Amino acid sequence: MDRRKLPFTIITIVVLVLLGITVQNVMNSWSLERELMGPNIEAAPDAVTPETPHTTEYRTFPKIGSRVAIWIVAQLHLMFAAFVLAVPMFALIIEYIGYRNGDKKYDKLAYEFTKLLSVSFSFTATLGAMLTFMLMILYPKLTNYLIGIFSWTFFPYVLLFFAEAGFLYSYYYGWGKFSPKVHLALGLGLNIVGTAIMFIANAWLTFMNSPAGINEAGQLVSMWDAINNFTWMPINIHRILANVAFGGSIAAAYGAFKFLGATTEEERAHYDWMGYIGNFVAISAFLTLPFAGYWLAKEIYAYSQSLGIVLMGGTFSWLFIIQAVLIGNLFLAANYYLWVSMERIDGAERFKKFTKYLLAAIAVCFLVWATPHSLVASVEEARSMGGSHHPMLGVLGVMSAKNTAVNIMILTTYISFLLYRRGNKEPTVSWSRTGNLIQFSIFAVVISFVIFLGVYGYFVDTATRVGLSVPQVLSVLFAMVSVTAIDVFMYKNAKFKGEMRWGQIPARAQYALFFLAITFTWLMGLMGYVRAGLRQHWHVYGVMRDTSVDAFTPTLGFAAGVVSVTVMIFFTFIAIVFWLAGLTGKKDWEEDKQLETSSGLLAEEA
Amino acid sequence: MRHVIGIFVFTILTTMFYYYVGQMVPQKETYPPEELTISKDLTTDQMVEIGEQIVGGKGTCLTCHTIGESGAHRFPDLGGIGNTAASRVQGQSAVEYLAESIYDPNAYIVDGYVAGMPAMHRAPTNLNDDEILTIIAYLQSLGGTPDVTMSSSHSFTGQNPAAAAGAAPVAAAPSMSENLDGAGLYEKYLCNTCHSVDTDAPLIGPSLYDAGNRMSTADIYESIVDPDAKLADGYPGGVMIATLNGMNFYDSVSPKDLKKLVDYIASKKGN
Repeated sequence: MDRRKLPFTIITIVVLVLLGITVQNVMNSWSLERELMGPNIEAAPDAVTPETPHTTEYRTFPKIGSRVAIWIVAQLHLMFAAFVLAVPMFALIIEYIGYRNGDKKYDKLAYEFTKLLSVSFSFTATLGAMLTFMLMILYPKLTNYLIGIFSWTFFPYVLLFFAEAGFLYSYYYGWGKFSPKVHLALGLGLNIVGTAIMFIANAWLTFMNSPAGINEAGQLVSMWDAINNFTWMPINIHRILANVAFGGSIAAAYGAFKFLGATTEEERAHYDWMGYIGNFVAISAFLTLPFAGYWLAKEIYAYSQSLGIVLMGGTFSWLFIIQAVLIGNLFLAANYYLWVSMERIDGAERFKKFTKYLLAAIAVCFLVWATPHSLVASVEEARSMGGSHHPMLGVLGVMSAKNTAVNIMILTTYISFLLYRRGNKEPTVSWSRTGNLIQFSIFAVVISFVIFLGVYGYFVDTATRVGLSVPQVLSVLFAMVSVTAIDVFMYKNAKFKGEMRWGQIPARAQYALFFLAITFTWLMGLMGYVRAGLRQHWHVYGVMRDTSVDAFTPTLGFAAGVVSVTVMIFFTFIAIVFWLAGLTGKKDWEEDKQLETSSGLLAEEA
Repeated sequence: MRHVIGIFVFTILTTMFYYYVGQMVPQKETYPPEELTISKDLTTDQMVEIGEQIVGGKGTCLTCHTIGESGAHRFPDLGGIGNTAASRVQGQSAVEYLAESIYDPNAYIVDGYVAGMPAMHRAPTNLNDDEILTIIAYLQSLGGTPDVTMSSSHSFTGQNPAAAAGAAPVAAAPSMSENLDGAGLYEKYLCNTCHSVDTDAPLIGPSLYDAGNRMSTADIYESIVDPDAKLADGYPGGVMIATLNGMNFYDSVSPKDLKKLVDYIASKKGN
């Protein structure tokens, strides 16, 4: 068999197996429904959910237990799925840019990104099948209940999955084989189908956190309401952005990996550029994530205040301190990479003086964000503080301070991007001085406004304080959009002060890209944990209790251990993906052997 | 190859760093709340004691509320509530106000706070009437003298969905059904008060003594979910559906139980 067809064959088999299982489940449901309802199936109330008789609620996975086994497999599946969904998004955009401006290097870069997809797709499918089987075996009652609620969504899911395989392989193997427009259309199809798949799967998992469309007995009343539950759309948007950020960071890590192993200047230049683009994609998406996060948290609170409090102020409040460390590191590393990258831009030296101020701003905001509301203290320390809240630091541990800090960090990173963009350019428009002044004024006003609202939050009642985060977010968005708009016009037809020396970047910048990829992955694992852990002792919040031996919330240290193991497994798999993707550029074995032989003969003759 | 080893070591070190950060925060396992047994002969002092446990446990009240803490709170501090409850809403006694705050929390919002507290007698908390009485006793003890007893009643007594339906706790329905057989369900849903199955003598409704001979399972199913679709001669419409609605039958019966019930009736073949 042609080895290039192997992944397609494997995927086809997996899809057919899944399709078979789904059809069987639906047929089972139908037959039971018919048995119950006889000829009056149309008259049956929607509230009646087919349920297959069963006796076993749980089975135990050896050694590590069912929860940890499902946890690791689900998280690995999510990581690969995120990567497979995200890469086509920016690969398509890069290909389109190349198509529009006719520069072949964009096309080459888009193809390089797409090379990572083929093997990753197989990993995603295999892990997805594994997760499905494990859910059926280890949590039969829960799985059966969810199948009963979402029975009809499995059809489009499997069919879309099949369509995704078709689009993906025709997009990858058809590179350069179709007209550019047809190929771009394939890429668009791939993205639409991939996004639809994610939306369907998101309905299942968000239903578990914020169930809707059911009556008080947990029976289905409206499937659409069950799908369109409180957290479905916020999670959809949050995941699209997070996937792009995560996918960009992994693609950047691939660039870094290839850069560090490159043997020629040309290779180094190409992979330096690839790493930069991957990082640009990652950080651009990352900057918008807090806004999507606010929306998600708002919807969680809207669904259940107590669920929101458990998330942010109760059991999981310390998890957000770990999150602050991770996100603070992401900001630091992203900015560090940009500052180091500016060393390869002739003319960017003039901006170096700003680096220390930007670093100071990020460091201060990082410290504020990572300050816990209540401190871990001994009895004596707590007594001398007058409680678990530090008399001074305690005020930094509340949302007014943290929201302010994260908004300023976003603006600081945006400024680093702006300086990088301007590195070797000099505006030629007559109004450049006024433009700079307006941009500076926008930053000054917005930063002051954000800080003012943060301080004001301490002096108003709860209802007002909660609402203050909205103008903070909107003002930061306004600053980024308006400053970008001015900058685009101001630097149109700009004069170049020097060269962009791609490839001439220190290795530490490449390690910064790896650091970003690992941190993104760890963050994804942590947030995946809190999304599921939030339900505490419920499989479906408020509807189906977890009565298994794992019906407790483990310590954050334990969760950190599971996340770390998952991250290590993921990077082991990703190393395989990188290795396999790298094989396509290598010479054929026979050809290589002949070359070696002929060069040996030549050497002997000489 | 050197760079591969470098990346490998770097990945392990970075991951280990985050693992270390995870160990540096407070470590606590959270277990599901324990169910407390509440007898009807508790004294008010005992009610206060149990109420305190429920407030900090199953009730999850302290997830949002504080007791006796000053400063800006997301939800009202409960310190001194025993003193202010009686005068909070004109015409409402302390017990009535506290009961309303638990059963219908958004009916009255304290100035400066936003609505959002869930009704505690519903999922996921599912407190029953007795548990809520003990919470009221505890809240009254915060700055006041509790006067509630286990026999006290208020406008919300009996609003617990489980109590109203005479069924198991609603939230637990999919996972913790009582596992009754068809005969058990027939009694549980009080079918036997109107329909006899042992003799052909009718009660309020027709006898189902030989229902399995006269009706298909689909007919039996229909006569339960839509009793007025086909009426037996001589029996008025609207009675059975009103009775079943009154006991919240349609909202509480699971498909599995409904099937068992239908199968049980279908098994009655007059012998």
